[in-house]
Amino acid sequence: MASGKVKVGFYSLTGCAGDLLNILGMEDKLVEIFGNIDLMEFVMASSRVKPGKVDIAFVEGSVTTKKDLETIKRIRENCSKLVAIGDCAIWGGLQASLTGLDPKELMKAVYNTEENYYEFLGEHKALSEIVQVDYELPGCPIEQDEFLQLLIDLLRDVIPEFKDYPVCVECKIREIPCLIVEKGEACLGPITVGGCKARCPYYEAPCISCRGPIKDEANVAGELLMLLEKGWKEQDVVDKLRLFAARYKDISKLIRRV
Amino acid sequence: MAKEIVVEHLARVEGHGTIRVLVEDRKVKDVKFEIYEGPRFIEKILVGRRCYEAPDIVARICSICPEPHQVAAVTAIEKALGVTISWQTKMLRELQLLADVISSHALHLYLLSLPDYLGYPDALSMIDKYGREVKLGLQLKRAGNLLKEVISGRPIHGCTVKPGGYTRIPPAEELENLIKPLEESMEGAKLAVKLFSSIDYPETPRHDNIFMAIDPGEHYGFMGDYVLTSTGERYPVDRYKELTNEVTVPHSSAKHSTYKGYPFMVGALPRMMLNKSKLKGQALDMLKDVESKLDAANPLTNNLAQALETVYAVERSIEIINELLSKGLKPEEPIVAKSRRGSGAGGVEAPRGTLYHYYELDDEGRIVKADIVTPTAQNVVNMEKYIRLSAERLLAKGEEKLEPLLEMIVRAYDPCISCSVHMVNVVRLR
Repeated sequence: MASGKVKVGFYSLTGCAGDLLNILGMEDKLVEIFGNIDLMEFVMASSRVKPGKVDIAFVEGSVTTKKDLETIKRIRENCSKLVAIGDCAIWGGLQASLTGLDPKELMKAVYNTEENYYEFLGEHKALSEIVQVDYELPGCPIEQDEFLQLLIDLLRDVIPEFKDYPVCVECKIREIPCLIVEKGEACLGPITVGGCKARCPYYEAPCISCRGPIKDEANVAGELLMLLEKGWKEQDVVDKLRLFAARYKDISKLIRRV
Repeated sequence: MAKEIVVEHLARVEGHGTIRVLVEDRKVKDVKFEIYEGPRFIEKILVGRRCYEAPDIVARICSICPEPHQVAAVTAIEKALGVTISWQTKMLRELQLLADVISSHALHLYLLSLPDYLGYPDALSMIDKYGREVKLGLQLKRAGNLLKEVISGRPIHGCTVKPGGYTRIPPAEELENLIKPLEESMEGAKLAVKLFSSIDYPETPRHDNIFMAIDPGEHYGFMGDYVLTSTGERYPVDRYKELTNEVTVPHSSAKHSTYKGYPFMVGALPRMMLNKSKLKGQALDMLKDVESKLDAANPLTNNLAQALETVYAVERSIEIINELLSKGLKPEEPIVAKSRRGSGAGGVEAPRGTLYHYYELDDEGRIVKADIVTPTAQNVVNMEKYIRLSAERLLAKGEEKLEPLLEMIVRAYDPCISCSVHMVNVVRLR
């Protein structure tokens, strides 16, 4: 650390670039953030790429192509801490809801060719399926305040804390009427990890679980049963569950069953 | 002997891609715009799902323009379902698109393009010398993001947009609170016009450039049922396939489009050239001063057209908010239609150009077919054309350094390649 600052790189694999854009969306804090780190690489924002190892690598996107695979391995070899940011990096993103389908059929359906021009791996994988990941910051996209706290913790060498409670907790704190109880909506708040301050319910929209399930603790079967009792069709609920976390073990089991 | 010169990947564009120019014996042999953004098969994800899920899914196509994807999708689905939206919903949709134009153009102009023209790697490095510009650019972007948050729930991947309306109508005070930041952002919008009209644009080869844009109706805008072409034609959006003629090519994961066999351009410059008579207010006043700088044959002037649009978008947003406030906001729920078999196409102007969404629904309201045609995919062939023409011209003048201008051309289009970029590799074979 010649400059005395922590060397940070921001990287992007297959996704919409929303997590990195959301970092650039902190307009009033950008100067301060980038003033406190040694920015090694952030191709979306700067054409300057500094060579050498980084202390912290923030990576968004799923591992979808051979190039993604090579990139994530190269990043892992060249960083001390690897942080997966966003649903694509943690769960494969909504494209991972296609898991199990024939890659040739996918190519045919969208690109009208069976030929794999894009060196598609056949599946959209999470980073942790390929390399060791040190921390995971959920969201589609990530929340700015959570990213900022994580960055500050890492810069201060403090072990960061991650939320392990459902969106429902934040709904209650904000006194938002329960969309399941009051309106019978298929809200996925009970199985989804909090931290968004119940953003969607606040905007009167049911949670679609874009932050993914609470790792190892989401009661998927309970959610499904509750929504079936409310009169929802099984296929519709399973479709909702698999949108952002088809690679979560309890949800992948459901997909096979329906 | 073949010699390969690898130029650093093009930065400050959204997504991943390469422009490859093959030069042999000082002649351009081939130009390929390679997009290596991983395929996400969004159209396939949509199939089998309830049409009410579509806005949440299509938002994830792109983080810079989730709003146009949502509006195009719900417009198409409403046509398929036979739903007519309220005036209030229509106004909120226009605001949603304007918000995206403000934040996307601010991002592109101040953070991605300006560093090019001033010779910096990024906007943050410009702060010491161009502090005011960077500050006003960020402030402008912020105003667009604030507007997005109030209408659709967050600046990226909004959650309130449904076929038939919005899950939440913004409270009057939230809309009222937007007026001040929008008014204050006008300085940044106007400065962009000043900056991008004073740039001495590198010349690109003169060539007929076919333009397309949505016909916005009586005033300048980003929504409509018809598409205008610079060849003087007007097509209903439903006939988008005749306008885009998509084909898949081996070197890119974005499809290629032509109009009657010719490359064409969509985006701010085409919109401005086709619809400038419909501008009003401060944007019209500023257009009069800088009109001679807008060059239909030079895609680099797309930046100036974006700046003018930003002035318009800020002013029009304030106008719509005042109109909504004076009429009073009504508590409306999204209109839920009885499911029926049907199909519909929706077209909107995204910041980068015309975007089409098309859906077929079954009698349960599930999507059985989805087709999405993005602006970048439509512009690719035109970009390749200008790259080729410019490279040929530079080589003929004996210039060796092709890359900077070629990169500038690509970036002027504001390509957004997660729709389907870090570019310009020049490969020289001797």
